[in-house]
Amino acid sequence: VTDAADSSALNRVRESIRDAIRDASAAGRPLRLCGRGAWMDAGRPAPASDLLELGGYTGIVEYVPGDLTITVRGGTTLGEIRDATAAHDQWLPLDPFGDDDGSIGATVATASSGPLATFFGTPRDLVLGLEFVSGTGAIARGGGRVVKNVAGFDLTRLMIGSWGTLGAITEATLRLYARPEADASFAIGIDGGGVERVRALMRQVPFKTYACEILNAALAARIGLPAATTALVRLGGNHEAVATQRQAFAELGTPVDVDSAIWKKLRGVEPEGASVVRLSDLPTAVAAVWAAAARVPNVLVHASPARGVVRVIGDASLDIAALRDGQCAMVAERLSAAQWEQVPGLEGALPSRIKRAFDPRNVLNPGILGVEA
Amino acid sequence: VTTAVISQIDQSLADRLAEIVGARRVLYRPSELLTYSSDGLPSYHKQPALAVFPGTRDEVVAVVRELAARDVPFVPRGAGTGLSGGALADGVVLIGLNRLTRILSIDVENQLAVVEPGVVNVALTRAVAQHGLHYAPDPSSQAACTIGGNIAENAGGPHCLKYGVTTNHVLALTVVLPSGDVVTLGNAAGEQPGYDLVGAFVGSEGCFGIALDATVRLSKNPEAVRTLLADFMSLEAAARAVSAIIATGIVPAALEMIDQPTIQAVEASIYAAGYPTDAAAALLIEVDGALAGIERDVDAIEAICRANEARSVRIARNEAERTKLWQGRKKAFGAMGRLAPHLVIQDAVVPRTRLPQVLEEIDRIGRANGVRICNVFHAGDGNLHPNIPYDAANADETRRVHVAMKEIMGACVAAGGTITGEHGVGIDKLPYMDLVFSDDSLAAMCSLRDVFDPDRRANPGKAIPIHSCREWYLSPAARASL
Repeated sequence: VTDAADSSALNRVRESIRDAIRDASAAGRPLRLCGRGAWMDAGRPAPASDLLELGGYTGIVEYVPGDLTITVRGGTTLGEIRDATAAHDQWLPLDPFGDDDGSIGATVATASSGPLATFFGTPRDLVLGLEFVSGTGAIARGGGRVVKNVAGFDLTRLMIGSWGTLGAITEATLRLYARPEADASFAIGIDGGGVERVRALMRQVPFKTYACEILNAALAARIGLPAATTALVRLGGNHEAVATQRQAFAELGTPVDVDSAIWKKLRGVEPEGASVVRLSDLPTAVAAVWAAAARVPNVLVHASPARGVVRVIGDASLDIAALRDGQCAMVAERLSAAQWEQVPGLEGALPSRIKRAFDPRNVLNPGILGVEA
Repeated sequence: VTTAVISQIDQSLADRLAEIVGARRVLYRPSELLTYSSDGLPSYHKQPALAVFPGTRDEVVAVVRELAARDVPFVPRGAGTGLSGGALADGVVLIGLNRLTRILSIDVENQLAVVEPGVVNVALTRAVAQHGLHYAPDPSSQAACTIGGNIAENAGGPHCLKYGVTTNHVLALTVVLPSGDVVTLGNAAGEQPGYDLVGAFVGSEGCFGIALDATVRLSKNPEAVRTLLADFMSLEAAARAVSAIIATGIVPAALEMIDQPTIQAVEASIYAAGYPTDAAAALLIEVDGALAGIERDVDAIEAICRANEARSVRIARNEAERTKLWQGRKKAFGAMGRLAPHLVIQDAVVPRTRLPQVLEEIDRIGRANGVRICNVFHAGDGNLHPNIPYDAANADETRRVHVAMKEIMGACVAAGGTITGEHGVGIDKLPYMDLVFSDDSLAAMCSLRDVFDPDRRANPGKAIPIHSCREWYLSPAARASL
């Protein structure tokens, strides 16, 4: 926790964020919000030349390990949270793609999550409260610092995944978990038709895996596994539970233990300039979505059968229209400008009304989410 | 139609609504409306001018459109089991959703159900039990409360410690906005680009519109369940045990605390569960999940309780014993009816490490004001439920109860907590909202409400305080002329 001198300097940083947004709003001059700057190519192109850097507003505001919650400023990195909580044998089980140098503000603003979402959910499930500076420069809070809270309308969930179009996130309170006694990872080679078998197994077993990602052969090879369709599984709990759960997966093939560093490799696998989309459907439809994605040449594909998500990593030649050609919903993460033109904007009147309510001058990341102002 | 505050609620409206839903489903005589003049909190009484009970989704939409055309405010209501006064209609139209009770579809393999808003919480769990599934949010009123009401209040329950509250289980909604427009929010597959409109709607206390159907997640029944009752000679020791259990990393399915006054009320009632009446507090602890490894968690929890001076730890030996232990907890509010004719129930949440100190403070406040406080609550997530039984006919006692309530709320907020964990703000907690939210935060919430209901006709005067509630009772045209 920061001391008094630091805290007055930090207050000035927060005021400068608020002032910058007020000024931009008064002048009608759009801002591109930026955390640590690692993913500036994510989202639709936003026509804003002025950068509002939020990464300097950083540090832990409050951490009481016994409460299993932590309050941090928006620019705090996932790595700083990881180190502070590890000292008390706790963790924030949130592993978005990229690395731990990303800020919590950007992670929350983009609702980013990774393989651990299978067990722990997404930012929607892990964020308890937020402070943000709206498009008019008002500093508002939703939620709180306790694990259960229904006071007021849910500004927290509204902000999560809003891509900085409604406000700049300056503080977040997060739910933490105690580290499990056992945390084991293993890989199982499966054939291409194994996706449905993995889904059916996960539906049937009396436990939840921490993570279960199916990787196509190219992706498996990229992170140092044999070049075959592979189920990469992570289990957590007490030793007895994990040992028994591991047995249940033997039905798919022989589990080969892997170091947990494999997850870090998976998170960091996408190259700069990649085109990345997530396809989402009901779990029973995942095998079909997977099959269609896996037919695309030169892509890295991974799928979470329990969550119904297939993630496709390609390049500027990725045919977005073809990928969308199904019942599934698509969330684009990073695309070329030409590819973005293939992705329709948000439908309905409500998104535009929300945007106007929180950012009436349309100065925060305009256009990045495909909402008409 | 006699008590209408708004002149638009007249015979012609009653006649028109009767054309939509049938004459039997429109009530406007004061004697008929009495049933709808309170909710689960017996301390508030407000009578609607008219109550209408549509039987189908199309009827709901037609009713809402008729009210929109006539500029009439309304309050949606499920089973009326809420504990915040949120479903009370004060001189406006009440729309009862309890006839929309169909489960529209169940998808066993994908663990989803689509339900109408009037489906009773436990009815959904019963309907999917044959598939080894259940609907996880389990408020104490689950035998009566509806999923629509649960969505409006973002209801919790004992098992949300492990499984999450209502918002963690709702994937998609079809909603009729107060304007009469019908919109779809969210996606059964759980992910779609754009704002989290489902997240915004759940917990909006009937101010954003009416859910016509909800796609909810179903959870697997656990392979094994173990329920423990540990009793302590001090509240402080019980609270320390709670913190120690949480710190292990074992996430119990439920972790409930019941203090001595509550134990005695329960044991004297028809819901007697065999709790030890001489204990200062008991913890009802449940762990569930896969059979493999569960006994180790049970052993660890038992050891923690004993290390924190538990006098005894009892493990339910069978389903009947388990049900009995839970019955006492779930019917505790009902058992309070033996103590006094009226009851206030608070719902503040505090950081879990602050429980020992806050419970001591609540005890002090009770003594100082000469009121009896019964604590029965979700200790695992710090969600307190101090209950104060009293007689509203006694003006002095009523005054002391309200002073104590205010002091308890202040103590919880000062400890870093919030004013409501699962009951909602309604009208009951409106005076406390500015203890936890700044003017700018409340203004942001108001502007979100205006996105869904620009005319501010849905559940007027609830959830968010405004400086003068009077304007809510006027038509938008009249308000504009203020």
